[in-house]
Amino acid sequence: MSGGLEMANLSAGYLGRDVLHELSLSVPAEGLTAIIGPNGHGKTTLLRAISGLVPRCSGAITLDGRPLQGLRPDARVAAGVVHVPQGDMVFAEMTVLDNLLMGAYLPAAARSAKERLEEVFALLPKLAERRGQIASTLSGGERRMLGIGRGLMADGRVILLDEPSLGLAPIVIEQIYALIAQLKNSGRTLLVVEENAARVVELAEAIHLLDDGRFVWSGAGAELMARPEILETYFGG
Amino acid sequence: MTLDILTQIIASGLTLGAMYAVSTVGLSLVWGSLGMLNLAHGGLMAFGGYSAYYAMGALGLPLPAGLLAAILMGGLLGALTYHGAVRFMLRQKAFETNVVIATVGLAFVLENAVLKLFGAQAQRQPLQVEGAIQVGNVVVPLQNILILATALLLMLLVALLLKKSRIGRAVRATAMNREAAQLMGVRVGQIYALVLMLAGALAAVSGVMISSLTGLSPGMGADPMLKAFIICVVAGLGNVYGAVSAALALGLIEALAQFVLGVRFGFATLLLIVIVVLIWRPNGLFGRQQVTRL
Repeated sequence: MSGGLEMANLSAGYLGRDVLHELSLSVPAEGLTAIIGPNGHGKTTLLRAISGLVPRCSGAITLDGRPLQGLRPDARVAAGVVHVPQGDMVFAEMTVLDNLLMGAYLPAAARSAKERLEEVFALLPKLAERRGQIASTLSGGERRMLGIGRGLMADGRVILLDEPSLGLAPIVIEQIYALIAQLKNSGRTLLVVEENAARVVELAEAIHLLDDGRFVWSGAGAELMARPEILETYFGG
Repeated sequence: MTLDILTQIIASGLTLGAMYAVSTVGLSLVWGSLGMLNLAHGGLMAFGGYSAYYAMGALGLPLPAGLLAAILMGGLLGALTYHGAVRFMLRQKAFETNVVIATVGLAFVLENAVLKLFGAQAQRQPLQVEGAIQVGNVVVPLQNILILATALLLMLLVALLLKKSRIGRAVRATAMNREAAQLMGVRVGQIYALVLMLAGALAAVSGVMISSLTGLSPGMGADPMLKAFIICVVAGLGNVYGAVSAALALGLIEALAQFVLGVRFGFATLLLIVIVVLIWRPNGLFGRQQVTRL
């Protein structure tokens, strides 16, 4: 098996009902892979299955050839899975600094937390300015940056981003995507989920369209742009 | 004369408040982290008190060893609470109610274990320091000062643990957002076990403090546990720092009420204050919204 994140025959869901049906997906060790699709069709569940948060899950998931299925969420983090969850799941009543330090909670990451913190502050100077501020008092865009910065602190192998542009103003979405482009160019492995294809298409090497728990189309960004009927069918134009 | 009375009230109020704070912080931590009301808390206090009694009386060990015995016993019982019951219930929908019933069961087990091991008759707590100091015309026993100092030290240690340490940060993170904490690599079960052990140890220490003033009996934890619950509710369930402030305030108010209205009105006054506070602020003085455990 090659490097990167691989899924084979992955089914997953909640309380006796599968949301994902026998998916197979290969996320190459370098670059950005995007999963797009309408809301409520399993995008978030897919990321949660990778990080071990769904109660029902069958099939195989491997990271660099090492199986992840059956591992607890904390063991998957230790294996290199970084999941930046949807919305602002920052620790609301903690300072920005404490949030970032939580990102480097595991012993391996904690040892190099200082250097990593400098990297994150260099990448996101806003967070350095606000390091002593309570997270709940940040703006929506700052919280999103904090969520991503916290994920970077783990120094993982693959970063899962769940709807990084959700609920943000256009100008802030620009900033977030500039950051994502920077992460990609620095050689990180990214798996990005978006409902809105517009921004992620430019950055992604591969795009997978998820509908009703199955991949219905896969290809490169330019191919998707050349097929307006696909966008029209799934996103209403 | 009036100054002496005030000194007396403050001295006994602070002692009461310090004892309440130690037991309340444990309850509050457990509620804040797990959303769990631990009705075995009183049983843990009694077990702590009797552990010191056994270590110092039957084994003849010195005072620090008595305190250490209580701390270890409390921590052990906290770990048993998690591994014997709580962990199997975490994923149940009715966790809150199920776990309360489990802790009621544990409370009975603990009380009857004390009865069986030490008998029903009241005992004197050997963990005592003799002597007193004079503040104005008021004599303050060294025992009270020891209680206050131990309580302050423990509160400081708990605060440092929660604020500054990696594991304390994880405890706070888990209480704020369990799922996000998991995504940081936190093993939530470990954190819950740790919180129950810490709460057990604090309950045991408060049991030693209380029994050093009122003596040991198998049911000795019932009243202090009720007061700890009251303080938790007044402070806002799960708010640890609020719990310490509320404990000290209510200790002072109880001492004042006992002086002005007579000893048996102390507890009644506390209950009245709770009612007023909860009408005024339904989530407690420093309360925030409910914890999300799952």
